Amino acid sequence: MTDGARGEGPALELVGLVKEFRGRRVVHGLSLSVPRGSLFGMVGPNGAGKTTTLSMATGLLRPDGGTARVLGHDVWADPAAAKAVMGVSPDGLRLFEQLSGRELLHYVADLRRMPVEESRPRAEELLAVLDLAADANTVVADYSAGMVKKISLAAALIHAPRLLVLDEPFEAVDPVSGQTIRTILRRYVGTGGTVVMSSHVMELVEGLCDRVAVVAGGRVLADDTVGALTAGGSLHERFLELVGASEVSGDGLTWLGG
Amino acid sequence: MTLLVVRLRFTMWRTAMSRSSLHLTSSIVGGLVALGVVALLGPGIAVLSTRPLRLTALTVPLFATFTLMWVVLSLVATGVDNVLDPARFTVLPLRARELARGLLAAAYTGIPAVMFVLLSLAQVAAWGAHPAALPAALVAAVLGTLTAVLGSRAVTSALARVMGSRGGRLVGAVAVSLVTLLPLVLNLVLTTGAVGPDLRTFDAGPSARVASWTPVGWAWGMPYDVATGRWAAAGVHLVLAVLLVGLLWEVWVRQLARTLTSPMTAGGGQRIGRARLLPAVLGTGPTATIAARRIRAWYRDSRLVSIALRTAVLPVFFVVQSALTGAGAFAGTGVVTLAVFAGLTLMNDLAFDGPAWWVHVSTGVRGWEDRLGRALASTIVFGPVLVLTFVVSASLGLLHPVVPWASVSLAAFLASLGLAVGVGAVLPGTAPRTGGNPFAASSGGAAQGCLTAVVSFVGPLVLVLPVGVAAVLTAGSPVGRWVVLVVAGAYGAVLLAAGVVLGGRRLDRRAPEMLGQLASAQI
Repeated sequence: MTDGARGEGPALELVGLVKEFRGRRVVHGLSLSVPRGSLFGMVGPNGAGKTTTLSMATGLLRPDGGTARVLGHDVWADPAAAKAVMGVSPDGLRLFEQLSGRELLHYVADLRRMPVEESRPRAEELLAVLDLAADANTVVADYSAGMVKKISLAAALIHAPRLLVLDEPFEAVDPVSGQTIRTILRRYVGTGGTVVMSSHVMELVEGLCDRVAVVAGGRVLADDTVGALTAGGSLHERFLELVGASEVSGDGLTWLGG
Repeated sequence: MTLLVVRLRFTMWRTAMSRSSLHLTSSIVGGLVALGVVALLGPGIAVLSTRPLRLTALTVPLFATFTLMWVVLSLVATGVDNVLDPARFTVLPLRARELARGLLAAAYTGIPAVMFVLLSLAQVAAWGAHPAALPAALVAAVLGTLTAVLGSRAVTSALARVMGSRGGRLVGAVAVSLVTLLPLVLNLVLTTGAVGPDLRTFDAGPSARVASWTPVGWAWGMPYDVATGRWAAAGVHLVLAVLLVGLLWEVWVRQLARTLTSPMTAGGGQRIGRARLLPAVLGTGPTATIAARRIRAWYRDSRLVSIALRTAVLPVFFVVQSALTGAGAFAGTGVVTLAVFAGLTLMNDLAFDGPAWWVHVSTGVRGWEDRLGRALASTIVFGPVLVLTFVVSASLGLLHPVVPWASVSLAAFLASLGLAVGVGAVLPGTAPRTGGNPFAASSGGAAQGCLTAVVSFVGPLVLVLPVGVAAVLTAGSPVGRWVVLVVAGAYGAVLLAAGVVLGGRRLDRRAPEMLGQLASAQI
């Protein structure tokens, strides 16, 4: 499905994205460029604007300013073209829970107008690889949090997108499935795909991603390769340094446990 | 504690209103409507004090019915709001009894409850001519409103327990849907029995005595007992009413205690076979896929099952009533009402999807495909019901003449579908939470509820009126009526197409904004 990609620019390019909620600005002219073929991590404290940014990048939330381009397609000027080449797994948005896992994959594939001969085998393969085959006929409403993450990832993968945008893909996922997902993502990037993922877990991003952006307060504080950013230390330390550790950590809450 | 809960309720109310102007407007409109109802009904009830006792006795069946309706309606949607969902208090160190006192006080602050209290005070005024009955009426007002409020809480919380599992929800949905039709049955019984009450000779005494011996009438019967000098009956009613209130309180507290220690979680693995039929019939394009999902939802989703049942059972009452009274207009109205209701069920279809609708946005489904798929699903689900009702009524000779009624029904169904898919793309409405109690009530829903209610009521009326007029005018003409049928079909199809296209365009343009609205559409 490389035909949808235009030129050789970045896989995802955000320029001056702005978002306000009720007059309060949560994303301040955020710009990011994700090169093709990279596994890009986005880290930041709670409320940093990660989910808001990824929603604006994927056409789920209209920005108040700025542009988002996916493989050369402007997400907000030509949403159909941009959506055709990307797969999205948002965090915190529910799925159609009355469908079984298998039905959900078929549903998404059909909405994307994939031929049945292609989508049905792919759905079975995804269910098997993600260890969901035994629950393929169970409705998503009865899935655990980790299983929901996995079926959401499968739904994002089924049309073989060129760009994957995953919000907290490893949350609540067990270590075995987590390893499977890492392998899938690495292999996907190896074949020229691009992944943008957000996470709270520094160790995970450090070990998995090629590049990382630290976002806080709706701004990009740092954006570099993992090696350059950590410069010998750990991403964890670098992150605390950039974001600023809380003052309370040492002296406050002395009554606790007293 | 009690004060704290009441204050919490007001805080949440204020926040909700300051966050959305729609909520504010609807609260004001709702308040005004309630005020209007009280201003109309209140004096009407109070003025009974100037009437003879046989008419004043009307308060007993009237308020017994109010109480029954209160409990029944709270199961459907409006009576109770779950802003203060007990499950939200589970992590706090609270005793159920303390919490129950607070929640009960908070329940009395809602608009419907205030309305009910005001009306019950009008009931006290109605007994003004009988000084001995006045204290009894006052006690009746207190016990009667308590019965209603506690009754609705006890019944809903007990039912919510049953609805914890998916299987239970389906069974519960079926049972409650049928119970909520109780007022209609009542109406059926009343209209067949009573023939135009003449106020000069009408005696409410017998019905007051009957009503006073039902649980919902125990409290309200007391002033009548006292006024007629039947002190023994009054005593028995007092004891029974107090016992009932006590019992409902205990049931509710016990349910609360269980909720506090084991917040409900939906359980039970529902497994589903591989669907072959729907894709085979409909195909696998986006429109067909959306239609297939909505059709499955109509029998899998307990929230929709209850709506489908009520919609489908409703016309049966009209038809039965028509058969009993011999008035054909009832059957015709029933079929047309079914057609309108079946079409309008799509009005808040997006709210039933809720935030899960992001899948449509993210896959780049076109708006018209979304709209058309849903319309198709509703046609496949309700079309046969509609045709069946029509054919049965017609073969019973209740629909006369047949062809004009067919024209109106057809136009009503298509126009309502078109209206619903069009308006539903602008106002998604609200729905119970996915996997939650299908009868979970909403207060936030009142916001758009008011507006959509007006649209749902006036819209079909205006759209179908031309066809109705044409059908009446041509009813006598053998050729004309068939022409009207064809024109009605074409007219309905045009309206439906307009709804699909305009609603679809709206969704295409404002999908992210709609997604934002849907984030809070489930209550």
